[in-house]
Amino acid sequence: MIKLLNLFKKKIYFDQYLFISITILSIMGLLFLYSASQDNIETTIKQSFFVMFGLILMFLLSQLDPDFYKNNASIFFLLTIFLILITFFFGKEVNGAKRWLDLGFFTLQSSEIVKISLPIFLAAYLYDKALPISLLHTFITIVTILIVVNLVRIQPDLGTSLVIFLAGLYILFLAGLSWRFIGISLTILILSLPFIWNNFLEPFQRQRVLTLLDPNADPYGSGWNIMQSKIAIGSGGIQGKGYGEGTQAHLDFLPETETDFIFSVVAEEFGFIGVCFLLITFFFIMFRCLYLALNARDRFCRLTIGGLSLLFISTVFINLAMVVGIIPVVGMPLPFISKGGSSLLSFYIAFGIIISMATHKKLMQK
Amino acid sequence: MIDLNERYQEKNNFFKRIALLYVFFGFLFLLFLYRTFTLQISSYTDYELASIENKTKEMLIQPKRGIIYDRNGEIIVNNVPSYSLITKPSQIGNIESHIEAIKVFIDISDDDALHAKENYKRIAKLNRELTLKNNLTMEEIARFETRRHKFPNTFIDERYSRFTLYPELFSHSIGYVGNLNDDDLEQILHEQNLKPKETIFVYSNGYIRGMTGIENIYDKKLRGTYGKKVYEVDAAGKLLNEIEIIPSINGEDLYTSLDIESQKVAFDQLNNRRGAVVAVEIDTGSIVTYISSPSFPLNRVANGMSAKDFNKLLNDTDKPFFDRAGQGRYSPASTIKPAIGLFGIENEIIDWNFTINDPGFFILPEDNRVYRGWKKGGHGEINLKEAIIESSNTFFFSLAYESEIEQLVEHLSYFGFGRNVCIDCFLPDKGLLPNPEWKMNTLNFSWFKGDTVNLGVGQGYLSATPLQLAYYSAFLAKKGELNKFSFVQQDIDASVDTFISKNINNDDWKKLHESMIGVIDNPKGTAGRLRNLKDYTVAAKSGTVELVSTETKEDYKIIRETEGKRDHAIIIAFAPMPNPKYAVSVVIENGESGGSVAGPVAIEVLNTLLEND
Repeated sequence: MIKLLNLFKKKIYFDQYLFISITILSIMGLLFLYSASQDNIETTIKQSFFVMFGLILMFLLSQLDPDFYKNNASIFFLLTIFLILITFFFGKEVNGAKRWLDLGFFTLQSSEIVKISLPIFLAAYLYDKALPISLLHTFITIVTILIVVNLVRIQPDLGTSLVIFLAGLYILFLAGLSWRFIGISLTILILSLPFIWNNFLEPFQRQRVLTLLDPNADPYGSGWNIMQSKIAIGSGGIQGKGYGEGTQAHLDFLPETETDFIFSVVAEEFGFIGVCFLLITFFFIMFRCLYLALNARDRFCRLTIGGLSLLFISTVFINLAMVVGIIPVVGMPLPFISKGGSSLLSFYIAFGIIISMATHKKLMQK
Repeated sequence: MIDLNERYQEKNNFFKRIALLYVFFGFLFLLFLYRTFTLQISSYTDYELASIENKTKEMLIQPKRGIIYDRNGEIIVNNVPSYSLITKPSQIGNIESHIEAIKVFIDISDDDALHAKENYKRIAKLNRELTLKNNLTMEEIARFETRRHKFPNTFIDERYSRFTLYPELFSHSIGYVGNLNDDDLEQILHEQNLKPKETIFVYSNGYIRGMTGIENIYDKKLRGTYGKKVYEVDAAGKLLNEIEIIPSINGEDLYTSLDIESQKVAFDQLNNRRGAVVAVEIDTGSIVTYISSPSFPLNRVANGMSAKDFNKLLNDTDKPFFDRAGQGRYSPASTIKPAIGLFGIENEIIDWNFTINDPGFFILPEDNRVYRGWKKGGHGEINLKEAIIESSNTFFFSLAYESEIEQLVEHLSYFGFGRNVCIDCFLPDKGLLPNPEWKMNTLNFSWFKGDTVNLGVGQGYLSATPLQLAYYSAFLAKKGELNKFSFVQQDIDASVDTFISKNINNDDWKKLHESMIGVIDNPKGTAGRLRNLKDYTVAAKSGTVELVSTETKEDYKIIRETEGKRDHAIIIAFAPMPNPKYAVSVVIENGESGGSVAGPVAIEVLNTLLEND
């Protein structure tokens, strides 16, 4: 059996730890979604198609050599920027936001793809730069990040733009951004916070931040979502109310149960035990990625694995922090769990690339 | 390209930096776990409650009030159902146009429309329901049902009204119900561990409570307890299913001692004159007749009338809302004489054989002031019995003159003067039993001997309510031992007042009763006109309350031109002798003659009570 697996591994590029944990996560996700969507079988079947397609895609992408990604990073990047741009013209407007491209069989959220292509592009740009990264390269990188972030922000999609911003910074940081530059820019950032508050945030976004500071001040207004989410999580207790028994979710008290607040449904129905199990799975994936990054074959692979895995972790924690009321509601899916094809596929792509980077060794090392 | 050394440095640098980020996320992970732990385990109970509160909606169920019966088991006050047209004012912008729209096919009286307009804002604020019309006919119901889609916030439902078949007979004794204010509602619900919430109403006028009379005194017993319905609701507040129901418990029925027939007779006899009648069963102290006249329409006051009509009643100079029986203060006048006579016997100032010569007046030795009797020339040589029968003032002036005021006050207090004599009357007045201390404190004058003399004939500062006079009457009848009055049929161990005396024996009581029988049956009696109105023996004492003191009959003739200055007519009576069952008091304001005006009313009431036994 082990021989067979080794034989299999020699022919193909495969990381069983990530593959199994992501599959488990995906199956749990389908289970949760069925309950969170009020037993909507149609939504669940649609999502399971994405899961199957995503797993295959992840497997296929991991077979490609890292050099393929390195050499084509710019093309992918420009292609995704192009997708964003046409979204402005041909995008489908939902609730005042133009984020989706209708492809007939599938509505694509273009920003979800950019969040993968940007870190790879930056890794490809920075992997051969001398340490510490010179001011010029830093400047070029930051400008690129800001352009992409702003393109997504004006859709508007604050949550995704935030994640893209973070992903770009992770690459820059891991690539060796000088500490002096970090110190100076942090100071400037803190000093310019009031300016950002007044000029870059929409009124509803500002309201969300204010709500966070005191969610009880206005329980039926903007604090409602956080209040209801906390009630859902808290009332789950240790064991939870049971699968499909969550009253907060099933009687419509929780908003956005299929997407942003799906964790609250999990917490309500499976309690602290369920939460721990889910978190441990995420935690396992996180540390498996760390291990892979540390053992990657070259700097490009290290940067890419590091950047993409941190992107994944950031998404998880932004979502979790949001539903328990630590940060404002920004609109962030829980990876592999929340409904939404684009987000789901983007993470299968990301992990496909991570596995590719981790499993392809240099010829001379072999 | 970078060389090997640099590559090592780069790798080392990368390790440090990614480790830093992982430590940061590791920290976040712990923070998040802690946060979830707090929510799910430390504060579990709070959030579990919040989640239950979220998904459930409780509605109160109003109980029905108990039915009030008379002593023969006849219903006095009942809950009468009818179909009402009800609207939710909080959902309706303009009540006037709403009423106009409904008026097209259902006739809403001006009174009802006015009532709706007057209460609309208040009810809307409380999120309660407003009744537009009661007693809908089947035709009106059908006409509304075909149009109900146009009026989503208006509906027809069965609602009760507190209703009496005798709208004017029990206005002061039973009293009326009215709307409960929010504080009282909270208080009542608190006793049941409930909180004010949306309510499934039984009564068309919402939360009700007894405002006056028996409805007020026995409110707790009559009220019943609120029930509760618990529904599962979704976030939109839609009722999904009923989880739990705790039914309301209707209030207890109340069997009163009131007698409908005698109430009718007393009310008819008073015939809207200002006055009061109180009659009691002597053995039990239970009140059988309690009328204050003029009266007001109980059903309309309880179930809503227009402000205009209400103000008309309120501003009526005859004061129909005023409970003359329990709160009207009248001088007892000559009816006090039997009690004063007993005082003389008790303190051995006189005996039954003691006589005085009555010249028609009494001169107070201290200041030579003249106190006159009612009969010019006086009653001649008379004893106590004759003095009671003929109602000699001089006799009692002299007797009072010989009395110590403190002793006299204490003596009169036994008979119910100056104190509350009823255990369940609504705001009973204590009347006034004056003493030197009272006079000094209120009038800033010291007590004169003349004040004591005046007290001897029940004039001056002394005043009592018809209820107290009835008590006094019953106390005399029962020879100094009497249950406190009550409106309900009492159990045996009710509180008993006993007259403590040294010198009065059964023989004295008998003689006193004989004297009071003489008031009617003796040819010289002051209430001789009553002799032929009955076929049993009645003991009585009449009185005439002088509102203005006059020297001569001619003076009074001028005075009586103004109706409000005419004397009040008073009588107390008990019958049948020698074993009296009922005692009665009658006061007719400005009725002039106790014997011939108040007397017939008392006799008719006694007739009815005795006939129906």
